[in-house]
Amino acid sequence: MENEIHQVIPINPVPYSRSRQAGEAQTVLDHIVDDFQENPVAMQYFYDLFRQVYCHGDEIPHSGKLVGTTCIQAPEELIYAFGATPVRLCNGSYHYDQRGADFMPAKSCSLVKATLGMLSSENVIPKIGKPDLVVNPSTCDQKKKSSVMIEGMGYSVYDLEFPNVKESEASRVYWRRSVREFANQLRKLTGKRLTRANLKAAMAMTGRAQAAFRTLHNFRRQTPSLILGKDAFLVTNAYFFDDIERWTTAVEKLNAELAERQAAGFRAVQSKAPRVVFTGSPPIFPNLKLPLLIEEAGGVVVADETCSANRMLYDMTAVDEWLLSDMVDSLADKYLKPCTCPIFTRNDDRKRRLLDLVAQFKADGVIYQAFSGCQVYEMEYRSVAEEFNKAGIPMLYIETDYSPDDQGQLSTRIEAFLESLKNRKKRHA
Amino acid sequence: MTAAKPAMQRLRDAVNEVDFNRFRFWFQITAFILFVYGGYLAIDLGSKLPFFSCGYNREGRAGVCYLLPLQHQLGRNWAVLFSMASLTILTGFLTFAAWFIVLNKGWCGFVCPLGTLQDWISALRRRLGIRYANYTQGQFAQLTKIKFVLLALLILIPLGIGGGLFSHDMSPPFCLICPARMVLPLFTGDLSQFTIDFSSKTAVVMTALGISVTALFFVGSFVKKRFFCFFCPMSALHYLISKPALLKLKKDGSKCTRCGDCYAVCDMEIKEIADDVKTTNIMTDDCTMCLKCVASCPETGALKATFVGIPIFVSTETGFIKRMNKGCQHGK
Amino acid sequence: MTSLNRLFALLFLLMLSGSLFAEPSEAQKAEWRARREAAGGEAPSEAQRAEWRARREAREASAKADESKPTVVANEERIHPTSGKSAPVPELSHDHGAMGSRPAADKGAVKPEEAARPSGRPAGMGMRGGGGAIWLSDSPPSRGDGAGRGGMGGMMGMGGMAMGGERSGPPSKRLWMRAGSDPQKSGFAREDADAQNETLIVRPQGPLDGEALAPPADGKKNLAFEMPVQGYYRVYASSRKLQGETLNISVAKAEIANFSHGGDEEERAQALTAPRVLDSAPIEIVREKAADEKMFFQLKSGDEQAFVVLQKGLPLQGARVRFVSHEGWSKEAVSDEQGRVSFQVIRDYFPAWDDFKKRFKASYLIIAEANAAEKGVFKDQPYSNVRYQATLAGNYYPSPDDYRSYAWGLGIGLLIVLFSGTAVYLYRRRRVKPFQEVRFDDGR
Ligand code: SF4
Ligand code: SF4
Ligand code: SF4
Ligand code: SF4
Ligand code: SF4
Repeated sequence: MENEIHQVIPINPVPYSRSRQAGEAQTVLDHIVDDFQENPVAMQYFYDLFRQVYCHGDEIPHSGKLVGTTCIQAPEELIYAFGATPVRLCNGSYHYDQRGADFMPAKSCSLVKATLGMLSSENVIPKIGKPDLVVNPSTCDQKKKSSVMIEGMGYSVYDLEFPNVKESEASRVYWRRSVREFANQLRKLTGKRLTRANLKAAMAMTGRAQAAFRTLHNFRRQTPSLILGKDAFLVTNAYFFDDIERWTTAVEKLNAELAERQAAGFRAVQSKAPRVVFTGSPPIFPNLKLPLLIEEAGGVVVADETCSANRMLYDMTAVDEWLLSDMVDSLADKYLKPCTCPIFTRNDDRKRRLLDLVAQFKADGVIYQAFSGCQVYEMEYRSVAEEFNKAGIPMLYIETDYSPDDQGQLSTRIEAFLESLKNRKKRHA
Repeated sequence: MTAAKPAMQRLRDAVNEVDFNRFRFWFQITAFILFVYGGYLAIDLGSKLPFFSCGYNREGRAGVCYLLPLQHQLGRNWAVLFSMASLTILTGFLTFAAWFIVLNKGWCGFVCPLGTLQDWISALRRRLGIRYANYTQGQFAQLTKIKFVLLALLILIPLGIGGGLFSHDMSPPFCLICPARMVLPLFTGDLSQFTIDFSSKTAVVMTALGISVTALFFVGSFVKKRFFCFFCPMSALHYLISKPALLKLKKDGSKCTRCGDCYAVCDMEIKEIADDVKTTNIMTDDCTMCLKCVASCPETGALKATFVGIPIFVSTETGFIKRMNKGCQHGK
Repeated sequence: MTSLNRLFALLFLLMLSGSLFAEPSEAQKAEWRARREAAGGEAPSEAQRAEWRARREAREASAKADESKPTVVANEERIHPTSGKSAPVPELSHDHGAMGSRPAADKGAVKPEEAARPSGRPAGMGMRGGGGAIWLSDSPPSRGDGAGRGGMGGMMGMGGMAMGGERSGPPSKRLWMRAGSDPQKSGFAREDADAQNETLIVRPQGPLDGEALAPPADGKKNLAFEMPVQGYYRVYASSRKLQGETLNISVAKAEIANFSHGGDEEERAQALTAPRVLDSAPIEIVREKAADEKMFFQLKSGDEQAFVVLQKGLPLQGARVRFVSHEGWSKEAVSDEQGRVSFQVIRDYFPAWDDFKKRFKASYLIIAEANAAEKGVFKDQPYSNVRYQATLAGNYYPSPDDYRSYAWGLGIGLLIVLFSGTAVYLYRRRRVKPFQEVRFDDGR
């Protein structure tokens, strides 16, 4: 059956770098790099990284077992502690999106389709190698359903059970158990023992990465902005597959540069550029369509509430007693409790987080992306819109997918929205 | 004025980024020494202290826990109790309240020798690599009431004794079952509380009960953080009069991500500290105001301790990162 | 964790019921009795004890018959540790040189006084009549057995608390003048018209040489006074009477400590350093306070207690001092050059187990006598000898060693620690708590 599918899809014999897929990445990257002025010098590391990985198809080395994750809920500290390397499999390529259409109904989430498309192809880009285990937390329906399909592609898949309700104590206990069980699974996979020292080292590593992210995040509070949102998204996208230590060092360099920029009174945008908080379905390279459209139109994305950036790196773990039991339970809590994922029954935390981001980052408006087919984001739109209405914060809701076809229409809408934000700002001033 | 501000800010930052656990550890040791051995230096802070500086530690105490005089006063002969002589009960209570108001439950988190002792026992367990026990939510909801029951008994039984309903051998009832009565005198080499009093049946029962509670205190606080505080009637009494207290634990729900970090470190398993984003005055009846939650909250300004409205210790991102790094490196 | 809690609850119940039935065994009782005896000097013989028991029972019967008499109101504020601490008490005799160098008190055997000794003091000892020495007691005759509720009345080994039984107003105190040399048997002292009597009271903040205290009025037999401030109240009832060539001077003294828990701290501090000696007293016995003695002091049987005999405030050497216990045991010693004698308070309370009261208040009586060849004139009559006699009474209580057992305490404690510790351990090991079945081995 599968072979048949593969037979129908013509396989391009040209080298990857000249493939349509590489071209897609190339176009976006060129756009990010060349169409904006005064990109931070330290961003070069990330530009180069994406060029190598997505345009040239270079291999990404890793140590130990490779554990693919399809969601931020898989505790990466545990994976590191067992000497394995986590890699986030969520994909943003239109090429894979089309390919994944074979697995899912046409109107389903591009992200899931692209992930499936990627895993089903022989030549997986980014070239990380075949994951020894794919961890698929049971979050949204589309992810849940892809489990079996991924298994069908010859991967070994572990369904990490994730609760739907996060307020209840039962779900906390349930999730802690899931995480413990996950640790068990990793032990089986790696044949290693979880030790206090290993886990502490892993947490120190992710902690440093998170601290670097938070510093970057905080620099974005500055008005006018020191750095554009498209670069920030690129940075967090690199976290999906880059070596964590190298990534952290690169971010720390970027932070140092931003500090200089701040001291020098640098402005990456005009002072009246509307500031936007980005929320909803996650932008993942090369699908940085919306952030780029916003910033082309003269706006700036100052913060986000998405699982490819803020939600992935923001929340940090506190431990009372540095014993395994306490560390693992605290980790579990940090993955569940602050999460603003739309798959939960209630979204009070998401609304509060958004309001706080708007206030803290002095944003003028919010842009809400929902991948068509992503029911949960589509359905949460109403309640979020109501909340913003009440608070008097303008919001633009955009339903889209990975295809570039709607770019023209979207850019008109975005320009109009940003214009209205500017006018509002003038009126208020 | 412009020059003063950065200095002030620097001081604030220094406080907020302090290695909190170490600070608290030393503060507690100091308080412990003061209240368990201060008597040798003729320090006497009166008998209305709002924490367990046990009166039975005759030699070393630097002041006496209020529950002792309270029970004695309430245990007066009714004729006396209902006379003007009982004005002293009122003045005694006011003195107690005056002490209490300064630190609120902070007396528990930072000063109470029995609380400190439990922290030490926990530290011992931690060093041995033994995990701590937790209550389930259901158990928590049930057990949290016990301290109020004990408080009620602590008031009613002495009244009964004064009225001749109970034997004098039951006086002071709570002290007889209070672990501090046996444990704290140990620190000044006084073992005399570890006896069974065979002079009457009531005395036998009460002393045996006292010994048993003390034994359970040791076992309990070994497996459960602040085991006894959960049942402490002093804590219940604190809560009832905590409104006007000067030291306050405040929460800004809009800044809280409900990450649960504060709950994870809370010795008293207080869920509200993380989950409640509406209440600003977040101190609950079980809280000991140890401020560990403030130290482990990564959101700047989400939790803070204020004194007469002035923030004195505020949760900050930088402080959090510093402390957690330290934890990752040498945490025990 | 539910089961853990249940476990704790169960343990509590177990202990509770366990301790309820923890009647000491016969063997245990025998052991305590033996210990008690060992600590209390020589043991009285069985016959002796039987006799005491009979005597007490008789007394109790008569006391019951005598209910209408005013009762000593016990103070509910008892000796307990809330007492603010006393600053180290300056030694009474700081002006008498080093106390440490005193010769050891004569530790001669305590011998029961011959039971039937007639009020057999040397003739003329009782100037107010009634036979025997005159002394001030905090209870009237026949109620000397201090097993009253709480047993907290007054003199409390001189360091106890005043009775605060009055509904309001300052606590007050009553003292009875009694004659005899056995604390229980002494009856009321009778008035003697020939004698010249004087009663002085020294109040804590009053004049150091005392004020006159009105004699009992309205046919009442007691001296009553109020104690508005904290401190030691001392009453001196002295009497002079000529008998032939000999002038008998007797001074019966009582010292009452009045302290309260809530009281003024300054007052207390003052009281603790105030002198406790009346310089004008022709003879006086002062109970020596131990250096570490607290404000709410209780003398316990088995304790060593020293007394100092003073004459006009100066130590009197060579006085014959007699200690009489509650049951009438007595022992004699002679004061050394510092006027000091010391006695071990004998243990003479041996009730049946069920009747044992740990707050049993027993009285002791100290009688000091000395002769001097002093010449003078009294009521126009010359005399060539003076016989001095001083008395002081106080209370003592059973020693805690009599009824408190470390072995049981530590035993029960240890047992529960072991039991609950093991229970918790097993529970935590064996339990497969739902959702917690994955364990981590925390060894590094
Ligand atoms: S965007 Fe929506 S549908 Fe897609 S993976 Fe996320 S939650 Fe699921
Ligand atoms: S026994 Fe307990 S309640 Fe009583 S004084 Fe001591 S500490 Fe206070
Ligand atoms: S709650 Fe704990 S810390 Fe507070 S008084 Fe009671 S024993 Fe001490
Ligand atoms: S640690 Fe801070 S942010 Fe996290 S739940 Fe507690 S108060 Fe909220
Ligand atoms: S809520 Fe905070 S201050 Fe109160 S006991 Fe818990 S950690 Fe300590």
